[in-house]
Amino acid sequence: MNDNLDVNLEKLELELQAWLDGELSAAKARRLDPKIVGDEGASRLITELQAIKSALAGNETARTVPETRAFYWSKIERQIQRQTPGPRAVQAPRQAVWRRWLEPLAGFAALACLLLLAVKPHAPPTFDEISSTGQGMEAVTFHDQSGGMTVVWLTDTAPAQLIESPDAKTPEPGDSEVEVE
Amino acid sequence: MPSQPDKSALSDADLARAAQNGDMGAFEELVARHRDQIYARAYSMVRNEEEALDLSQEAWVKGWQRLAQFQGEASFATWMTRIVINLCVDQLRKQKRQRAESFEVLEGESGGVERLMPATMPNPAAGLERTELRRRIDRALDQLSAEHRMVLVLHEFEGLEYKEIAGRMGCSIGTVMSRLFYARRRMASLLAGLKRENEE
Repeated sequence: MNDNLDVNLEKLELELQAWLDGELSAAKARRLDPKIVGDEGASRLITELQAIKSALAGNETARTVPETRAFYWSKIERQIQRQTPGPRAVQAPRQAVWRRWLEPLAGFAALACLLLLAVKPHAPPTFDEISSTGQGMEAVTFHDQSGGMTVVWLTDTAPAQLIESPDAKTPEPGDSEVEVE
Repeated sequence: MPSQPDKSALSDADLARAAQNGDMGAFEELVARHRDQIYARAYSMVRNEEEALDLSQEAWVKGWQRLAQFQGEASFATWMTRIVINLCVDQLRKQKRQRAESFEVLEGESGGVERLMPATMPNPAAGLERTELRRRIDRALDQLSAEHRMVLVLHEFEGLEYKEIAGRMGCSIGTVMSRLFYARRRMASLLAGLKRENEE
């Protein structure tokens, strides 16, 4: 029984406060009006709440930061630099995210290829072969990359009658060899 | 070399726009303009100088990080005040979690003895000079529990409605009403007590 009274009293008190704060609907506020005028306790409560409300309004103590402008800002700036890239930092596009992972991977792959080539001593030397034919002469060039050597093989394919000097030796095919290092 | 424009002559809106484009100098000017207000709000809620300083600085860092969200619907100072309030409420929640169930918490939720006192107090602010009234209000705020103080500050100083306070504090409107009621009655009692102390 008493509990019910307390609950009802509490509800009434909170409603009176809400009435004072303008938080009640118009219909609810109208229902409370006679209570506020006719009930001495309700009227006193409203007066007290109103007095506190008025006392607090505009009477908050002004406070100033107990640090200089430069020092206060320096701490904020440091935190900003530590935590954020900037206010307009946009999210990296998906391609950029992929690139972020792929670039190091490509680097590693290139490095692995180089290492493989370096540790493969018995790999057959690679030859670049160039063959050119001219009138009466054929030249074949071999380039040995592992040996750092170029071999040029000259072959005289001209018919014998083209030789003008009688002293000249008729070169046999495959006579001429020039080695270039 | 072109000279830097005088930032103190720019409006908050212009400075905010410049800051949104990455101008940290513009943001520094905004900090300089409103730092006292933001610090004062943090202090009124947590009542501790060091904590208020930390929270206000954290609010500025958050402000910089969220500048893109500032659309200028409210003033820049109001926008920043909302950020520091949220940080203070978060701080209160953390402290409440860390605290064991204490008498203060129980009393904080149900209301103390003032809750049951008949309303017979004359206006405790009557006849007081403004400076003296402010000093007493400040002292009385120190004696409220964090939960009651925050609701009172948000309603009376920030002008927030019950619903908004409930949303920010993560509680029901009923709890807000109850806390506000108790906080006001306690303030009335404290101010009257301070007045009596002064008269004796």
